[in-house]
Amino acid sequence: MATAATSAPINEQYNYDIVRKFTIMTLVWGAIGMFVGVYIASELAFPFLNFDNPYITFGRLRPVHTGAVIFGFGGSALFATSYYVVQRTCQARLLSDGMASFTFWGWQTVIVCAALGNMMGYSQGREYAEMEWPIDLLILVVWVTYLIIFVGTLMKRKQPHIYVANWFYLAFILATALLHVFNNLSVPVELFSMKSYSLFSGAQDAMTQWWYGHNAVGFFLTAAFLGMMYYFVPKQAGRPVYSYRLSIIHFWAIIFLYMWAGSHHLHWTAIPDWTSTLAATFSIMLLLPSWGGMINGILTLSGAWDKLRTDPIMRFLIVALSFYGMSTFEGPMMSLKDVNALSHYTDWTIGHVHSGALGWVAMITFGSLYHLVPRLWNTQMFSLRLINVHFWLATIGVLLYITAMWISGIMQGLMWRAFDDYGNLQYAFVESVAAAHPFYIMRAVGGAFFLAGMILMCYNVYRTIRQGSTETQAELAPAAA
Amino acid sequence: MSQDNNTNTTNTTGHVWDNDLQELDNPLPRWWIWGFYITFVFTIVYWLFYPAWPIGDNYTKGVPGLNSITYTATQPNGEQVEKTTHWNMRSKFMVEMNELQEAQKKWFDKVAAMPFEDVQKDAELMQFVNSVGKTMFTDNCAPCHQQGAQGKIGFSPNLADDHWQYGGTYQNIEETIVAGRNGYMPPFKEVLQDEQITQLANYVLEMSGEPHDAEASKAGAALFRSETAACYYCHGENAQGKIQMGSANLTDKIWLWADIPGSKTDAAKLAEVKRVITGGLNRGVMPAWSGRLSPAQIKLLTVYVHDSLGGGK
Repeated sequence: MATAATSAPINEQYNYDIVRKFTIMTLVWGAIGMFVGVYIASELAFPFLNFDNPYITFGRLRPVHTGAVIFGFGGSALFATSYYVVQRTCQARLLSDGMASFTFWGWQTVIVCAALGNMMGYSQGREYAEMEWPIDLLILVVWVTYLIIFVGTLMKRKQPHIYVANWFYLAFILATALLHVFNNLSVPVELFSMKSYSLFSGAQDAMTQWWYGHNAVGFFLTAAFLGMMYYFVPKQAGRPVYSYRLSIIHFWAIIFLYMWAGSHHLHWTAIPDWTSTLAATFSIMLLLPSWGGMINGILTLSGAWDKLRTDPIMRFLIVALSFYGMSTFEGPMMSLKDVNALSHYTDWTIGHVHSGALGWVAMITFGSLYHLVPRLWNTQMFSLRLINVHFWLATIGVLLYITAMWISGIMQGLMWRAFDDYGNLQYAFVESVAAAHPFYIMRAVGGAFFLAGMILMCYNVYRTIRQGSTETQAELAPAAA
Repeated sequence: MSQDNNTNTTNTTGHVWDNDLQELDNPLPRWWIWGFYITFVFTIVYWLFYPAWPIGDNYTKGVPGLNSITYTATQPNGEQVEKTTHWNMRSKFMVEMNELQEAQKKWFDKVAAMPFEDVQKDAELMQFVNSVGKTMFTDNCAPCHQQGAQGKIGFSPNLADDHWQYGGTYQNIEETIVAGRNGYMPPFKEVLQDEQITQLANYVLEMSGEPHDAEASKAGAALFRSETAACYYCHGENAQGKIQMGSANLTDKIWLWADIPGSKTDAAKLAEVKRVITGGLNRGVMPAWSGRLSPAQIKLLTVYVHDSLGGGK
């Protein structure tokens, strides 16, 4: 049953080359995307940083930031880990090396074109789907190829059962295809015009967008990363997953419930009241299924809690799960009509997103990649101490970020609804902007901490790869790139 | 590869992936299941309180009377009707707006019925004016005149000082808000030689006590009142401006269009004044607010600008 541990036979058995490529791009896009994030956070605190240059104004750089971190960093991490996990747990090589290579180059082209297009001012004006239609078509082709590779590899498996991580990855690939197609239905102004208009209009357009936007969070940033968790947490802990039954129940509950919840992004707007109610209640019902993933991950460690003290990689994974639990509690609360009346349009939303994005998505990715990198390059991590430093930089960064946004968000919500004795608004909007200023600085500082950790990781991985290739060269004459 | 379970008595499902990946067959945690059930109960209760499920062209509206809203609606014919309805955003909004408008109505009525001068004498009423005025000013005026009403050179006049281009009486200010203002000064680049513009600019600088060329200024003074330049048509013989036209007082050291306070050198100051004379001005547009604010609101805002911001005449 035991597979050989040397790199040469493994490279024949599995396609590691594609995993390595995506792993490297995860780090590259992580560093770029987070740098842009820190920059636009600084622009909000100090507007002179826009330098009256349209290409780098907040409005254009913001989708560059979200595109680079979600699709560049998150997307590449998902490609890398899903290709690794599906091969390892199916004991089968990817369906086709050529197709896998196409998904790599295609996906990188998408991220670059999206970023450049946004900076040039092209945008569909749909959050997290700003790319104009030619890029959307490329995404579609890449994504269908991805689906074929993934399903094809599953079908080639030498294991009777499909491992739980693969359910989550498959659900993510299918749902993302569905969301992407329907949200981006649009008509170009002319055949060769980059500008297009959505097929939907008004409230329907908004609801389509948030059906997409919310499920991009649900399937891209949650289900898929749970897949990552289900492989790397038990692997790193060296212990079995806590409960098979829980994994089945919470998987299907998440899959069924998420799709209904998107309209909670549109509370107190022109959508029908019943839509808003349904979205709120389905969000509430999502709480425990989301926690199912957290429990299953954290309890996997029971009996090996000492690892939290000794293993910084484990710490990344478990803290990620804790942030996941926290933000999936916060989300349903914010989806209640009355809480949302306070939180809507404030920085609280931004804080909530980042406790999920930084605390959960990025942290689980860091932990998983620290596990993955030495195995891909057949060596040890260059420095465990630097992983530890990264952990603290990241944790302090997230905490500064979300604390700043909680304070400024709740403050904004309270200021906007404050009335004086005569029933007049007590504060002008601009006063709430001025009041938020210190917290915008604090947020940028938190982001800078997180970015510093990311850059440290890039260095650590770079040294690891160099050390790995030196070792391999010593072992074998022809070295793999 | 540590299969020596020391704490777990539960068996695994018997599947193994990738050498050592296994799953325990633990039951669902009790608190988790109960938590899940509680969210279902919460959900059903929520559906009883709010509109929830679409049925054909209609939708469930929650249990009648449980969470209903009563509000006063004004019919198109002006008649006021009390309505009770199931919970909905629109009605909730109506209720809140009705309450606020009801609470403010007596104050607005009082302001509307009083002459301007008396409003200012009523301390209690002025508290109301300050409360409403601050929000109204910030939402409508501050984008141009700035939050402290101090204006911005090259953009909008200061409303907090004693100088009024279009007059600072209550009536003047009300007229400005109602109808807006459209400042205009023709460009002189086609009419005058560069040397003449330099002379005029020196004269303008002299009138505000700025460094200038005395000889050029003297020539400029003559030109100012000549038919060639004809500056005095608008700015008046004494160059103090005319309220009827909104022409600037050139003798008061207040600069709106030429950025003299921001010019570091004498040459830069001269260039600034020359720029205005050469190119003229066609951007002093203040929009009319008559359609956007009610007469009572405009009256109140007038008092706010006149008395609360200070400097009214």
